[in-house]
Amino acid sequence: MTHSSRAATFVADADRTTWHDETLWFVRQKRDKAVYAVPEFQDLRELASQIKEHTLSRLDEYLQQFEAKAQRNGVHVHWAADAQEHNAIVLDIIRRHNATRVVKSKSMLTEECHLNPHLIGHGIEVIDTDLGERIIQLREEAPSHLVLPAIHLKKEDVGATFHLHLGTEKGNHDPQQLTEAARQHLRAKFLAAEVAISGVNFAVAETGGVVICTNEGNADLGVNLAQVHIASMGIEKLIPRLSDLGVFTRLLARSATGQPVTTYTSHYTKPAEGREMHIVIVDNGRTQQLGRPDFRASLKCIRCGACMNTCPVYRRSGGHSYDFTVPGPIGAILSPNIDLKKHSSLPFASTLCGSCTDVCPVKIDIHVQLYKWRQVLTEAGEIPAAKKWSLKFMGRFLASPKAFGIGGKVARTGLRLLPYQLTHAKAFNAWAVARELPEPPKQSFREWYARTVE
Amino acid sequence: MSSSRERILAAAQANKPAETPLPTVPDFGGDASVERFTEVLGSIGGRVVWVANPQQLGPVLRQLFPDAQRTASPLLAATVPVNEQTPTDVLADVDLAVLPGEIGVAENGAIWLPEVNMLHRALPTVTQHLVLVLDHRRIVATMHQAYAQLPSTGGYGAFVAGPSKTADIEQSLVIGAHGARSLVVLLY
Ligand code: SF4
Repeated sequence: MTHSSRAATFVADADRTTWHDETLWFVRQKRDKAVYAVPEFQDLRELASQIKEHTLSRLDEYLQQFEAKAQRNGVHVHWAADAQEHNAIVLDIIRRHNATRVVKSKSMLTEECHLNPHLIGHGIEVIDTDLGERIIQLREEAPSHLVLPAIHLKKEDVGATFHLHLGTEKGNHDPQQLTEAARQHLRAKFLAAEVAISGVNFAVAETGGVVICTNEGNADLGVNLAQVHIASMGIEKLIPRLSDLGVFTRLLARSATGQPVTTYTSHYTKPAEGREMHIVIVDNGRTQQLGRPDFRASLKCIRCGACMNTCPVYRRSGGHSYDFTVPGPIGAILSPNIDLKKHSSLPFASTLCGSCTDVCPVKIDIHVQLYKWRQVLTEAGEIPAAKKWSLKFMGRFLASPKAFGIGGKVARTGLRLLPYQLTHAKAFNAWAVARELPEPPKQSFREWYARTVE
Repeated sequence: MSSSRERILAAAQANKPAETPLPTVPDFGGDASVERFTEVLGSIGGRVVWVANPQQLGPVLRQLFPDAQRTASPLLAATVPVNEQTPTDVLADVDLAVLPGEIGVAENGAIWLPEVNMLHRALPTVTQHLVLVLDHRRIVATMHQAYAQLPSTGGYGAFVAGPSKTADIEQSLVIGAHGARSLVVLLY
């Protein structure tokens, strides 16, 4: 399945597509308002980019510094080369505490590792506590956005899900009341949980602590009530100094949702008296990406989601059409690193308009990397034959002025004469499915130029 | 030492790019006024109330939270004694927590709340309503200035900016997701 074939299911509902498009554009506009209110915002982007680049350039050293500090703080540090090892480590910690009730706050990494099915398969109850994540967990769906996991759903969908699973009144789709129902339902889970799993937004090498940003407070509530905290982080989450958080906390929420900061910016450095804290440091393909000079900048990503909110393709095709943990433009440059064949259509799910690059708070050259992946994919023979041959043909055609001149003439006549059924035959011309052909001009520019100027 | 650790570190070392410098982050200055702090906190769902005498919070709190039965606080005579050992079921019944905040940030309405001020780490989020008491002279302009004032982040600590909230259902803002349903800052 390609991105476009999966997107076809999404765009089949035109009203929903429009609504999705407008909702995300609204988030993008909120981002702009928040960003323009900070005069030094562009300086902050540059600083964030430089800090991340520097960290990557000394990644092995910072990882060791972080580990040593964390251990000194009484934190258990684990290393996982891949998803499987990560899941085994987490299960092992849970088992050693004879625990069966686990709450989890938002973590794209555990999503990437498919931790939930692994734990559930071993008899552990895992409850996602972020409201959006809980909604999609109940529906057995994947998140469709980095920070707005249930953005593909309408309140009626959530109402129906809660009626089914939480016993809310049928037909009640008031966000306020649904949120209250989730609050009551999840509170019971928080109070009963023995282990809390969380993601990590930033890991500070200087202090050995991790920082988690949420609006709901679900990470804090879960972690601070449970006996054991397990924080899973990719190796790219590191920043060198505590003061670097000044830069990143000013960028993250403004870029993500247009808020000046997330409600909770929580710093976990040492376990509470009598409790346990574990940090699992995960590679899962990241060091490989680090070794690709053209694509390593993707490791600077702070998962704000701004690039998807602004992307004209993402907004109209929905997160599920990417079929990868991280959707949107950044997902399209991370995914080929994991599986070139499976995700070969994603770098083409872009207009290369560059809007993603413009909004990225850490200045990743996203659209340039998309373009580079296309070249890698073409070289590896991973693009569909039709695309390959038509591009080859177009290349030759555009390189020859003579062929171009004749071609133009043919097209101008053809556009007038060809029957609609033929130009819009779905089998031949997918482009025309939602488009009309232009009114053909009577003469070409060259003909006009020859007549007027010479 | 696990072999994965060695493998990851070796791969990071082998694949990392040539070293680039770590930039110095300037202090960008900015507006550290009480007015700015009040306005921004209001825009994110919090509220500033001035108190004349921080030693006498009782009357103000009774007026703001007439229904609060179970209060926890190191600042006044509270009804629920809370410390690090307090069991979950006791914490879960707290209506109102009144805690001292350390630093206010004008650009985003956040307040630094270190572990030592919390009685129990879960109290600021498990309570139904949260009140933070802050000296108005401790307001700074930006997060850079706030971090510059932190000697360390202790074992645990959080910047709290407004009440718990979510917009996960159709982007409709709902206050009171899992943490405190309201946040009042008592400034003195
Ligand atoms: S690539 Fe940039 S814009 Fe996209 S999620 Fe990552 S940090 Fe945000």
